[in-house]
Amino acid sequence: MKHVRSRIKEELFALGVVLVVLVAFPAGIFGYQAWRTASAGVKIVEIVARAPEQGGFSPDRLSLRVGETVRLRISSPDVVHGLTIPGLGVNVNDIYPGKVVEVDVTPDKPGRYAFACTRWCSVDHWRMRGVIEVTGGSPPVIATTEPPLFQQLGIDLDAMPHEAHATPNATPSISVGAALNVALPQDLTDPATRRTLAPAGAFDNLRADPANAALSDADVWNLVAWAWMKDVSPTALARAATLYARDCAACHGPDGKGKGPAGLNLPGMQKMDPAMPSGPADFTDPAHMLAASDVLLQGKLLRGGMGTGMPEFGSLYTDEEQWAMIAYLRTFLFAK
Amino acid sequence: MRYAISDVPIIKRMLRSRWLQWSLTALTLLFFVLAIIAGLVGTPAGNRNFGIVFVWIVWWALLILLLLPFAGRLWCGVCPIPAPGEWLQRRALVQPRPGGKLYTLGKQWPRALRNIWLQNVGFLGVALFSTVILTTPLATALVLLGFMIVAIGTSLVFERRTFCRYLCPVGGFIGLYSQIAPIELRVKDTAICAGHTEKTCYTGSDEGYGCPWLVFPGGLTNNMSCGLCTECLKTCTRDNIALFVRQPGADLLKTTGHKLDEAYKGLIMLACAFIYSTVLIGPWGVLKETARAVGTPGWFAYAGIFLALNLAILPGLFWLAVRGGQWISQPAQTTMRKLFSDYAATLVPLGLTAWIAFSLSFVLVNFSYAWSVLSDPLGWGWNLLGTVGLKWTPYIPGLIPYLQVPVLLIGLTAAIALALRTARQHGQTPWAAAPVTVFCTAATLGLLGLYLA
Ligand code: SF4
Ligand code: SF4
Repeated sequence: MKHVRSRIKEELFALGVVLVVLVAFPAGIFGYQAWRTASAGVKIVEIVARAPEQGGFSPDRLSLRVGETVRLRISSPDVVHGLTIPGLGVNVNDIYPGKVVEVDVTPDKPGRYAFACTRWCSVDHWRMRGVIEVTGGSPPVIATTEPPLFQQLGIDLDAMPHEAHATPNATPSISVGAALNVALPQDLTDPATRRTLAPAGAFDNLRADPANAALSDADVWNLVAWAWMKDVSPTALARAATLYARDCAACHGPDGKGKGPAGLNLPGMQKMDPAMPSGPADFTDPAHMLAASDVLLQGKLLRGGMGTGMPEFGSLYTDEEQWAMIAYLRTFLFAK
Repeated sequence: MRYAISDVPIIKRMLRSRWLQWSLTALTLLFFVLAIIAGLVGTPAGNRNFGIVFVWIVWWALLILLLLPFAGRLWCGVCPIPAPGEWLQRRALVQPRPGGKLYTLGKQWPRALRNIWLQNVGFLGVALFSTVILTTPLATALVLLGFMIVAIGTSLVFERRTFCRYLCPVGGFIGLYSQIAPIELRVKDTAICAGHTEKTCYTGSDEGYGCPWLVFPGGLTNNMSCGLCTECLKTCTRDNIALFVRQPGADLLKTTGHKLDEAYKGLIMLACAFIYSTVLIGPWGVLKETARAVGTPGWFAYAGIFLALNLAILPGLFWLAVRGGQWISQPAQTTMRKLFSDYAATLVPLGLTAWIAFSLSFVLVNFSYAWSVLSDPLGWGWNLLGTVGLKWTPYIPGLIPYLQVPVLLIGLTAAIALALRTARQHGQTPWAAAPVTVFCTAATLGLLGLYLA
């Protein structure tokens, strides 16, 4: 009898141990985490950044609420990544493998915020993106923002004839253009209308104007360069240079010639459609670039290459950054 | 040349106690539960997830580098996977019900499957997806959970630990390599068994259960199917069972009577050691990516090559080697099948040392992840022990090759000795061992090439 009683006692003790292992222990894990979160006062969201072939960001879709502070804990199991959420002012440049980077975000406006990797983590780096959906707060603002100009003007980004018939013989110079002291016509002084014009078209108009009869072709080009760049601030250009190095240089090359390492092997686009470009655009090609208006370039920046492999970087930029970037592209053809 | 360590009084008391093995199992179960929780809800970054780091680095290191070579199936004795099923089957945790009664449908495992072929298949299945499983916490958790569910189901339907004996994919190779261990559980005097009609070690008693691994301890001549559960040490009424320290590899010295399923196990393990060494630590990143890209055409090609190497190419080459030996010296009345199975004993030291060498390369490099994971097992930003900030540091990376080379050479030496012994035991001339020796040497050189490259 004593034997039976001690057996039952031992069994109950063992059962207690098993319950601790299978029930109390897991409960403790979740309890501890709940207590930590509650005492930290922020919600923690784990984001793992992997090279795009391995899945990119996970999760790549987040739902946040206006006014709620969330701590993003970002880590990488493979190579160095970065994270930018332009709409929320987040810029993390170095997420080293095995290290955890934490940033707190508190969105104050509802909307969709794109985020992307900022390091050339693989050839597919540009695919590495995600979206944060912010809801709540004031009722979501019905989009009052205007559609981009290229849409308002009904420009077909692909059908646009895109070869200038006249190109400068020498690199047009902004400072020489300024020194000419020529009064520019209204459509070139007003940025809104100038953006709808291609530099080559502006050249034609200025050339046809009898007031400019005394100017050489080269000087008319200098004038065009000045008209395009006179309102661009050095800070804007510096910002654009940073963005260019981050987002564009890998394909279009640091020198703009379209020979960046990541652009060399674009998957046989021309095989699918002979009209497709054979590679990233060459920003130093005057025939091509001078035939494009700023609005057209903005359209391409916003929409991306549609099959050419170019992502819609524009969606990551503010308006100012978009125009600054377009001005920066002009510097490949216009000298100081 | 054996010494019964279980006759040391304190060790005997520990091994006879029902609590020792039980509490170790409860401890491993705790780690197991944590690994599963971490896999299900923890960070998907493998190197920061307890499930990955503790299962595939810490446990694996423990198993391959220490337990297997030095203690054989010791892991099986404390493994958490069959524990819940076994507890349900016994309706008891520690102290046995009178007579060691079991509650199960008690079906017998089909005769045709009483071998390790299913374990071979299971192992190949896991191995084929290992590049994914080893790096994806969720996959690891699901695999572990799957093992446990199958183990529980098996224990409710079939007698005793049928799962461990015939199904567990890990158990298969642990058994194979446990033949090398310098310990064995055996009876002291077979004559005493012969006179003991009750055979409580097999049938069970008030002290414990009949051998859960379905073996008759009195007839044990090999480590392969004894799970070191210590049950028979408790149930043998004649104190006739002991845990012995012995000459390493003693089980392999009898080089006849091996079976084809074991031979295949040896070949599969060798092939996998090769494939992993090539894919995981070789210089070809593309291979690794292809092996991970499950479902793509490239992966199907990888899977095809993987299975072909495991099931046809390596066995084919080995068959040719054995056939060559047979051609050199035709033993009387020995079939090719027998020769093939017996010569495959050479693959046991060869394969284990290959796995040790392979494991050294990634265990020492990655072991330091364990410290931060201990503090933050789920990657949730905890810092329980203050070790979260400890950086990843490869341990003695420069020395790894100096460890790998002697390990592989020891394996090769043992393999060649076994090949010669097999030839002799089959009445062949020593030259008949030459082709198998060439096979083993080529395999070793291939691995050396991979590790030293
Ligand atoms: S209980 Fe002991 S003596 Fe009896 S058969 Fe088993 S090992 Fe031999
Ligand atoms: S032989 Fe003994 S120790 Fe081995 S499995 Fe059977 S009961 Fe357990």
